[in-house]
Amino acid sequence: MSQLLQVSALQKNYGQHEVIKNISFELTQGTATALIGPNGAGKTTILSMLAGLLKPTNGQIQFDGIVGDPRAAIGFLPQYPQFNSWLTASEFLIMAARLSGLTAQTAKEESEKMLQFVGLKDAANKKIGTFSGGMKQRLGLAQAIIHKPKLLLLDEPVSALDPAGRLDMMNLMKSLQQEMTILYSTHILNDAEQMTDQLLFLKAGKLVEQGSLQDVKAKYEHRQIVVEFKVVEEAAQFVVKSTLSAEQQGNIVILQTDDMQQVIRELAKETFTIRKVEQQSASLEEIFMKVAKL
Amino acid sequence: MSSLLMMLLPIIIIEFILLIVALIDLVKIPETNGPKWLWAIAIVCVSIIGPIIYFIFGRKQV
Amino acid sequence: MMQWRVLLQKEWRDHVRSLKVLWIPLVFVLYGVMQPVMLYYMEDIMKAVGNMPEGFDMGITDVTSVEVMASTVGQFHLIVSLIIVLSFMGIISKERKNRTAALLYVRPISFSSYYFSKWSGATIVALVSTIIGLLASYYYTVILYNEVDAWRIAALIGTYSLWVLFVVTVTVTASALFPTGVAGTLAILLTYFVQLIDSIIGQFWTVSPWKLGTYAVTWLGSKPDSSDFWLSVVVTVIAIIVLMFVGVFGARKNMENIKI
Repeated sequence: MSQLLQVSALQKNYGQHEVIKNISFELTQGTATALIGPNGAGKTTILSMLAGLLKPTNGQIQFDGIVGDPRAAIGFLPQYPQFNSWLTASEFLIMAARLSGLTAQTAKEESEKMLQFVGLKDAANKKIGTFSGGMKQRLGLAQAIIHKPKLLLLDEPVSALDPAGRLDMMNLMKSLQQEMTILYSTHILNDAEQMTDQLLFLKAGKLVEQGSLQDVKAKYEHRQIVVEFKVVEEAAQFVVKSTLSAEQQGNIVILQTDDMQQVIRELAKETFTIRKVEQQSASLEEIFMKVAKL
Repeated sequence: MSSLLMMLLPIIIIEFILLIVALIDLVKIPETNGPKWLWAIAIVCVSIIGPIIYFIFGRKQV
Repeated sequence: MMQWRVLLQKEWRDHVRSLKVLWIPLVFVLYGVMQPVMLYYMEDIMKAVGNMPEGFDMGITDVTSVEVMASTVGQFHLIVSLIIVLSFMGIISKERKNRTAALLYVRPISFSSYYFSKWSGATIVALVSTIIGLLASYYYTVILYNEVDAWRIAALIGTYSLWVLFVVTVTVTASALFPTGVAGTLAILLTYFVQLIDSIIGQFWTVSPWKLGTYAVTWLGSKPDSSDFWLSVVVTVIAIIVLMFVGVFGARKNMENIKI
């Protein structure tokens, strides 16, 4: 797979304040990348620079295989998209498409398709001022993809939505994954876990970790096996007898290992009443907490 | 006196149109800068200037 | 060109739906018509109101149509720039403030087509309103008083239109450069305030955009001094072009100031 975007040594300062510090990453064509970080880490700043709204203080943003104005090949959905309330959804989409170079005819056809795709067909001729937050978010997605961009940038696409809207949006995004390269930011790790080929962990303007979901998980995962006893005394006994590093929490013992065989062998030596033996893998949430502490 | 009325009629009509259009817009618009009733008073009571000030400063639209 | 057309269509929808295309011409017509009617019927009105001593003569019955037209333009002048500035001071700055600009600026638009769509939209509304207002005033003057040469009125409207273009350009460029409040204040200063200064100490020079209003009225009588007038026109046109360049530059530079 070929590379679409190369970001090298990207930096953004506001006066003395370094908002983005020396960030480098690549986006491969046809992949989805999640930009993860707490609020204020600089996610929006990075996306704005890629979208061409902000000029980097230093560093390069290089698009491969895109000639001319890169903005023509980019679709951008801001976290809180703002529309002229006096335009209708259809008027706005046609305008957006035409500004991205589509002909009047194509713009009209595409806007109808997009409204259908995001489920706003019935609201096509309603003023955007009457739209709910979720509807604006869908319209925002429609304007970001109407010109079939190679790169789709989404800033916190789901965090402002209710659970149903969130699911809808995730499904829409997944269906776009085949057609375009996606880079989206989020501070909700569950969302990132659902759709990602690459993770970029951002903290205070620095890229602290990057890699595929599996790689990052493998690197940070601290596998544990949790044994739940019926009574606290047995749990305490087991902690004393076990050769593994074990920690007791009431009737639960947490073993720092991923060797299930050994755990079962040790348990079998005694006549404990065991309720549950379970291998736990760290969630992205936990990894994130670890990465954030780096 | 009737010719005076004829001459003044267009002025009165325009004033009236401004008043009515401003009031209709005030009713239809979701939000104004400041309370709506205050704008209603301004539009009705201050002829010509009331509607103008409303159109310039009263309408709140993104 | 295509982008300019698409963006101008958006501007036009804005001006239609915010009712600017309705109330601005109406107000301009009102101010163009009121003065001739008031002057003509001043006496009647006074009598109708009463309290006038018998045989009181305001001494205005022998006013010429040229004088009426001149005083109308004077009245008109006071309101026109103010309404243009207040109506269009947020034309670019407001889009930055409410962040609707972000969804435009992420598209491959040129800032010159963006600026000129704003300028064109405002110009159409302001210019058409001005022309309608002055024509209405001319019509009333002719029926209430006597004929004024059509070419004099054409010259007046032409000259005054250039002033309106200047005011529009100052306003749109100020809006490209600064937040709405600052833009409005600056545009008021650059139109009203400078004109006031020009009228107080301006006898020392004869070439200035701020004298266009005076020159416009002069067409009704003696005609303005040819070289002074044309030099002022040239200076104004140059000022407008320079302001346009500054405006395009300002719009582009301020792109960074949208908080998204």
